[in-house]
Amino acid sequence: MIAVAMLLLALLGISLNLAFAGVLMQPDWALAVLLASLLAHRHNWAWVLPAVLLHDMIFYGEIQINFIIMALLPPAMIYLDQHLGAGLPQRLLLMLAAVTGLLWPGWGVPACLLTLCLCVPIWRLLTRQYAQQTA
Amino acid sequence: MNFNLQRYRMWLIAATLLIALYAAARMMAGSAAMLAMWPALEMLHAPVQWWQSAELWLTDQQELHQKYLAVEKKSQQQAALIQEASSLREENRQLRKILEISTMPGYRWHAAKVRGRSPDMMSQRLILQVDDVSMDDVIVSSEGLVGVVDSISNNHATVRTIFDASLAVPVTIPGTALAAISRGQGESLSIEFVPLKQAPQTGQVLYTSGAGGLFPPGIAVARITDVHPIPGQLFVRIAAEPVAHWQRDNWLAVASQLHDTP
Repeated sequence: MIAVAMLLLALLGISLNLAFAGVLMQPDWALAVLLASLLAHRHNWAWVLPAVLLHDMIFYGEIQINFIIMALLPPAMIYLDQHLGAGLPQRLLLMLAAVTGLLWPGWGVPACLLTLCLCVPIWRLLTRQYAQQTA
Repeated sequence: MNFNLQRYRMWLIAATLLIALYAAARMMAGSAAMLAMWPALEMLHAPVQWWQSAELWLTDQQELHQKYLAVEKKSQQQAALIQEASSLREENRQLRKILEISTMPGYRWHAAKVRGRSPDMMSQRLILQVDDVSMDDVIVSSEGLVGVVDSISNNHATVRTIFDASLAVPVTIPGTALAAISRGQGESLSIEFVPLKQAPQTGQVLYTSGAGGLFPPGIAVARITDVHPIPGQLFVRIAAEPVAHWQRDNWLAVASQLHDTP
């Protein structure tokens, strides 16, 4: 259910970006939602990665560095969780790496910062949702 | 062996998925995915249109009258310009006939509304709402060349802008023998095949030459930002920026080539 809701939100975000680019300063809504989903629950990679691929195909017509970074996040999370334990600093570092990847396709620094600001509350919300589900 | 398979199962699945996604991306490459988003964009723009329609009901009669007079004045000015263009076209045709120059293909000009644009700072790709366009029709703003139509579907089209590396525009400086190519570099333009002796100066504007027949001649394309001679090389390295700034334009013009019917 969470996956469907997040995918729909990502699709809406992509539409917002396309429709109002050049009019409003916007974050990458879809990437923020998908990144937050991945950070909240690493097993979400199975639907997050195809969605990031679709995001890249719609915006740029080809795979961009965003997809590569997002594809590296799940193995990096598994590795870091096994060797350092599941900790917030590692996750924050991974989030920064993913958002920095937006600079390559030509997004501005303010858009990256907005994406970061959007990602954090969604991540927190989703983490709480997943914790409630397991409880 | 069984133990090993269990252990690496997740990694195998992940690797297979990544390879499948990469293969899918290679097959989907292009602007088809962007064009498929047009129904969502129309839905998002609908409230804006409703608001604009509702605004008319709230505008008072005097203001509407003034707006009508301004539009009528503009329409008359444009009618005069169209007439002037027609007489110039006829004069051009006659001069070409006298000089025995083969005729350039004609173009039909019409307007297109910008419905969406890629969210990078340079808006490297656009979605237009437009009727009756063909692939490779030329898109122009009030300032200069924007790009060409890349894909079409249901009165919508995507535009590959001149920032795209796959788009080569033959350019020249009017009154000179310069014949060069402008090619996209992502966020800037590169002007290729400019001999050292014909190197233009920073700030000069390059126009479409009409060579190749795809782009109408005389449209402003690029403004030179840097000229860098390379020792031992025949051609200079030139960087340029587009003359047109389509990042905020709501309307663009489309030049469709008129093909002679047999």
